[in-house]
Amino acid sequence: MMEILDPTSEPGSRAIAYAPRPRSLEGKRVALIENTKFNSDRLLEKIGGVLKAEYGAAETRMWRKRNASVPAHDEIVEELRKTCDVMVAGIGD
Amino acid sequence: MSAVALESRRHAVRDPAEAIEFCHAQGWTDGLPVVPPTVDRVTAMLEAARLDPGHQIAYVAHRAVSITAEKVAINAVMAGCKPECMPAVVAAVEGIADPLWSYHGPGTSTGGAGVLILVNGPIARELQVNCGVDLFGPGWRANLTIGRAVRLVMRNVCGSRPGTLDQATLGHPGRLSYVIAENEAESPWPPLHVERGYRPQQSTVTVMAAEAPHQFYNQLSSSPEGVLATLCDDMRISGNVMGQPQYVLVLAGEHMRTIHRGGFSKADIRQFVFAHTQNSYAHLKRTNRMTGALQDGDEGRMRPLVESPEDVLVVAAGGRAGAFSAYIPGWGSKRSSQAVTKEVQR
Repeated sequence: MMEILDPTSEPGSRAIAYAPRPRSLEGKRVALIENTKFNSDRLLEKIGGVLKAEYGAAETRMWRKRNASVPAHDEIVEELRKTCDVMVAGIGD
Repeated sequence: MSAVALESRRHAVRDPAEAIEFCHAQGWTDGLPVVPPTVDRVTAMLEAARLDPGHQIAYVAHRAVSITAEKVAINAVMAGCKPECMPAVVAAVEGIADPLWSYHGPGTSTGGAGVLILVNGPIARELQVNCGVDLFGPGWRANLTIGRAVRLVMRNVCGSRPGTLDQATLGHPGRLSYVIAENEAESPWPPLHVERGYRPQQSTVTVMAAEAPHQFYNQLSSSPEGVLATLCDDMRISGNVMGQPQYVLVLAGEHMRTIHRGGFSKADIRQFVFAHTQNSYAHLKRTNRMTGALQDGDEGRMRPLVESPEDVLVVAAGGRAGAFSAYIPGWGSKRSSQAVTKEVQR
């Protein structure tokens, strides 16, 4: 018999505190996080339009990440805290 | 140091043959047989780099992954590394965890990047990292095992497994291992690490998320401009044309001598390549690379393939004979991932 060592490790678990979800988008300020990929701004503009027209969102404002492969940078996050209630973020090719 | 216990989970197997099959069945391999990572072998790997098993080599913030020396050593054993290769593997792992390399992109992307690892300084010769004939080919243990170890760390520690976190559409053979050294002994130019701020006697690895090598021919010209004109014509439409990634140029023996004889420095090469790989807006729009309708002046408006001449990394390497060299497009864009150089700590 012989013993071998496990080469894997899993990311450490950590608790994430979710922000409370609004019951309605009525009057809410919506941030759109654009990931820099082609047409992602156009897609988000359409989504923002739907949120205003059909769900009563008050306004939308778009933010541009530095690139698609990184989280939104600190300046964006800081501004988001002050200026919006909900945000739409995602990635797509 | 040997008193410090290894903490990884242990698995009992009957013999080495069963260990190889067991590792494959767990999904821990790249498809090739691995060396069973026993306590003795892993300990030897750590001792060669004078590292405690719990020492954190790097932390990949975007993935919340801590990469310890113990896990790097286990994967290096599996890859077939000799213990003396461990410091080079460690430096490469530090490189891919650097925020400028930005792991989350090249470690997951549909673009299918390999980790090109360029070894410079005395360690390249000590470890016998090939810088000559059949540069990217088989037969060179250090070249094939150092890069393999890094890919196994990505798979087993960072979670970049094909089909789950790793969504490479095509990938390429360099994703098994993609390691070369610069031919510093025969190169007429300063080596890459010296250009990037290190002393000649320091040893470094430079990691770049990269496509496969693209070989080009020029068997006619005896001038730098002639050879590089062919290169630029091949290279102008390559990689993510609109993304402006960094590039590595690998200039092999004949081309290296021709270009040097004509008086070109590495800086001259970079400047020439920057100037001659630009595309017109009109061409980029006609070929569906740039968005928007053709406008007046687009035939004369030029977009550089790279952001600046400094984004072309020039390396002298490859066999002495044969009028071939290669260019290697970086993954995606410089905005998303950059080449990173780390000193090999010994």
